[in-house]
Amino acid sequence: MTWINNIKRLLLSGIFFAIQLNAMAQTYTSKNIKLALYSSTPLEDIRAATDKCTGVIIKDSREIAFQVAVKSFEFDRKLMQEHFNENYMESDRYPYAKFKGVLDQQIDWNKDGIYNVTVTGMLTVHGIDKKRTVPGKISISNGQVAVSTEFKVACVDHGIKIPKLVFTKIAEQINIKVSGKFNQLK
Amino acid sequence: MNKFRLLPVAILLMAGAAHAQNADSLLKTLDTADKRETVAATFKSTHVVLSHSSETEKKHDLDLRIRHHFGDIGGQFGSAHTLYGLDVASDLFIGLDYGVSDRFTVGVGRSKQDEMYNFSGKYKLLQQKVNEHMPINLTLFAQMGWIAREPFSNSEFSKYTNRFSWFFQSIISRKISSRLSLQVMPGLTVRKNVSDTRDPEALVSVGFAGRMKLTKRFSFVADYTLVNGLSRPTDLSQAYYNPLGLGLEIETGGHIFSLNFMNSEYILENNFITNTKKSWTKGGVRFGFTISRNFTLFKSKNKDPEKRSDIY
Repeated sequence: MTWINNIKRLLLSGIFFAIQLNAMAQTYTSKNIKLALYSSTPLEDIRAATDKCTGVIIKDSREIAFQVAVKSFEFDRKLMQEHFNENYMESDRYPYAKFKGVLDQQIDWNKDGIYNVTVTGMLTVHGIDKKRTVPGKISISNGQVAVSTEFKVACVDHGIKIPKLVFTKIAEQINIKVSGKFNQLK
Repeated sequence: MNKFRLLPVAILLMAGAAHAQNADSLLKTLDTADKRETVAATFKSTHVVLSHSSETEKKHDLDLRIRHHFGDIGGQFGSAHTLYGLDVASDLFIGLDYGVSDRFTVGVGRSKQDEMYNFSGKYKLLQQKVNEHMPINLTLFAQMGWIAREPFSNSEFSKYTNRFSWFFQSIISRKISSRLSLQVMPGLTVRKNVSDTRDPEALVSVGFAGRMKLTKRFSFVADYTLVNGLSRPTDLSQAYYNPLGLGLEIETGGHIFSLNFMNSEYILENNFITNTKKSWTKGGVRFGFTISRNFTLFKSKNKDPEKRSDIY
C-alpha cells in the first residue's frame, strides 16, 4: 500500500506548495524606490536624492513599509552630504529612516486604476518615532503597482537641531517626494 | 519510510512561515545598504592643530585657509607689554587647497617665516571602512618649501637649491568612535639650510594627533610631534623643542574656525618641525587661529535637478 501513501503525500505536498505560492503572491516589494528631499529657504535651496529606498506592500494586512539607508542620499556638494550625515541625521547612530503603516482604504489589487489613499503609521527618522497619516497614490496596471507620495517632515519632530551659528540655511520643514514601482514577490 | 511522513508537515510549516512574514522581516531581506562603505569625517578639517590630518578636500572643493600665530604669552617677550603676545605676529599664512579628486588634493601657500612659499600634494591611499574591512585611513603627504627672502649672509644660500626644503609624511588615522579619532604620522624633513653642523639635514619625526568631539560642531584637537632624540641630537647648542598644539575647532557648515595654543612659532611643517625654539614650560606658548572657508567649484556640472542646491 505504499504507493497510495506516496500519492497522498505528493498531493498534500502539492497543496501546501500552492498555499505557500499564494501567500507570496500577496506581497509586493521594491528595491529601487526614488526618494528626494528638498529644503527651501529664501537664501538657499538644498536638494538630495536616492534611488536605493526599499519597500514592501502586504495585500492581506494592507501593510505598507519603506526603509532607506540615510547614507545613500546624494548631494551635489559632497561637504554638504558629509554635514547631513554627521551633523543632522547622525547616520552612524541612526542608519535608517523608515515608515511603516497600514492603508486606510481597501483597494482592489486586481483592477487597473489609480487609487488615492492615505496611510497611517509610524515615521522613524533620526531614531525618533512620529505617528503620521500620509496621502499617496497607488496606480495599478497589468499587475504592476506604482506608489507615489509627497509629504513634509518637520526637523523639530525628530530632534534634528539647526543651530543659529550655521551659515547654510536649512528649512524647518523638509519636503519629501517618494516614487517607485513594486513587483510581486515570487 | 517514517521520516518522509514529516515532509508535508515541514511544507505546511514553511507555508505558514511565508504567510507570517511581516513587513519588517521583508524589509530586512531587501536591505541594500553597502556593508563595505567608507567611514567619513575622521577629522572635520584637513589640519588638526599644527599638523595635517588624514582628510583631503572633496572633489572640486577649494579651501581658503588663513592662519595666524601670535607671540609668546609669557617669558621675556610676553606679558602685558605685548598684551600677552597679541602685539606680535610670529608667523602668518595664507593658502589654497584644491581637491583634484576626492582622494587627491594639491595646495599652495605662503607664510611670513623665511617668506616661504609651499607647494604640496596629498593623496588618500587607504580609506577606513565599516565592519573592519579596512581598519585605518592612510594618507601620503609631500610638501616643498621655497625660501624667498634675501640671504642673511653671503654664504647662506651659496647654492640656490639650499633655499628648498622637502617634507614627506605618512598619515595613519582611525576613527575609533563617532567622537574620538586618533592619528600617527611618521615623517621626514630634508633641508640644506642648517645652522649647526651636528643638526642633520634629514630630520626624522613622528607625530601624534587626536580629536575628541565635544558636541556635533565643537571638537577638542591636539597634536604633538616628536623630533628631538630621533635623528636630531638632544644636546645641540641651540635648544629645540618638540611642537605641541592644543585647540578648539568650531565647524559651522563650510567654515571651520580653529583656536589654538602651541609652543611652535611657525606654521608650515618645513619650519615648525625643524625650528621650534620655544617651550611650553618657559612662557613660549602662544595663541593662534585658523579660518578655513570652503568653496565648491564647477558645481554647475551636476545635471541632475533632484540633487542640485542653489545659493541665492
